[in-house]
Amino acid sequence: MIDFLIGLFLATLIISLFTTRLYGLLLWYSLNSLTLGLLALFIGHELDDMAMLITGIVTILIKTIGIPYILKNLSQKFHFVRQINPEIKVQYAIMLIPAILVFTFYLSEPITQMINENNNYIAISISSLFLSLLLMMEHKNIAPKIIGFLSMENALFLLGITATDGMPMLVEFGIFLDLLMAIVVMNLLFHNEEAKV
Amino acid sequence: MILYFLTIICLLLLAPILLSFIKALKMILLFKKPISLLQGYRNFSKLMQKETIISSETSSITRYAPFLVLSPLLVTMFFLPPVVKGAFYVSFVDAFTITGLISLSTFFLMLLGLDSASAFGGMGSSREAFISALVEPAMVLTIFSISMMAGDLGIGQAGVNLAYNFPAEHMSSFLFAAISFFILLIAENGRIPVDNPETHLELTMVHEAMILDLSGVYLAIIEMAASVKFVIFSSLFVSLFIPFGLEYSPVVAILIFIAKLFGVAIAVAFVEVNMAKLRLFKIPNLLGISIVFAFLSLITFYVLGY
Repeated sequence: MIDFLIGLFLATLIISLFTTRLYGLLLWYSLNSLTLGLLALFIGHELDDMAMLITGIVTILIKTIGIPYILKNLSQKFHFVRQINPEIKVQYAIMLIPAILVFTFYLSEPITQMINENNNYIAISISSLFLSLLLMMEHKNIAPKIIGFLSMENALFLLGITATDGMPMLVEFGIFLDLLMAIVVMNLLFHNEEAKV
Repeated sequence: MILYFLTIICLLLLAPILLSFIKALKMILLFKKPISLLQGYRNFSKLMQKETIISSETSSITRYAPFLVLSPLLVTMFFLPPVVKGAFYVSFVDAFTITGLISLSTFFLMLLGLDSASAFGGMGSSREAFISALVEPAMVLTIFSISMMAGDLGIGQAGVNLAYNFPAEHMSSFLFAAISFFILLIAENGRIPVDNPETHLELTMVHEAMILDLSGVYLAIIEMAASVKFVIFSSLFVSLFIPFGLEYSPVVAILIFIAKLFGVAIAVAFVEVNMAKLRLFKIPNLLGISIVFAFLSLITFYVLGY
């Protein structure tokens, strides 16, 4: 089941790389966070870790429902461009994504040798880190760049869950607070963007 | 051996019903009065009684091609993974054979479109060539990776292996292959994001453009080929990607299999209702996603599998 969810995580991230609509991108981000939250719940259930269960629920509440909703409201408020065409052509993306995956799978091999259990998941989380970097790179508009930043955070969260049997809950909550702060800061950024136009 | 032939006959009889079912479900979802499930049979018998007219411009290809479109698909029906326990199956047929047979059928369909020398036929053939050239590599990769997961290159044996000992450790790789194959199922059968089977509008026709000049018996054969193709794809999807239910008694196993086929039909109908048709030049993007996922499933199998 954990394998299935990790696969779904990577799949939603890859589909979001090919999306050309802002609301579609928000939907895929929300599904990505949903699989992440479910993953945290499953691993927490396996390890019998109360803190991880709470982080899973908070992830689902904030990242699956909260942040996409706020971003959608913001984009309606500031009349964003809803058609976001990737700067990297699809033909090149088809070549690039498998290349990134192969590269990161071999890149993470020394790390996976150090960790005994769940060593497959580290490769996937590092590769999803690179893929969300690609998501940030391939768009010119600010909204998809923010989604790329948020999915990078998701990838780090996945790395945290799978590699280290769960970070302390205080750290997780600090990250969540940072994220909400970041959204507020981005709100100001949007104001600037609006002023320029 | 009897079970083997019985399941093939059962699938052949089911083929028109499945397509009518998709159409009926779409009509229900659009608040229309649905057509009967037997509409496929009605169309077939109506077309069989009609006069067959062949344009005087055509060569002999038009007389042979409809049969050559249908026959590779009928051969493929015999190579599908078994539906019930203990049934005979052909174990040596691999990804390349299945893809090759299906593209042989597509090749004759394209010849048929070109042969009538109408503008529509040539347009439809070029579009079909464009789509199927992108479908084939993805399909070979997907079936290859699923048969690697099952531990046997033969598709029949792979279906049996998957049903009895499911590779739970390759679940993510399996999921990628399933996504890729579902996109291929939609693309190759000309369902909505790729091609709209119900219109005769110049901008959207792919499959209909090639068979515009046919009538009577030949049209009936081509429509039968389309429904057989859908059954082949959906039963490949069902037996490779939803592999369970093989261990029950034959009647229950066949019923479960049919229920799963209808499940695939429901999924296709929902995709059709909820999506707009893509522009023709956006189709490579969709099939590109499919190729990426097929490749990804192979990579994850090799790099993480052990």
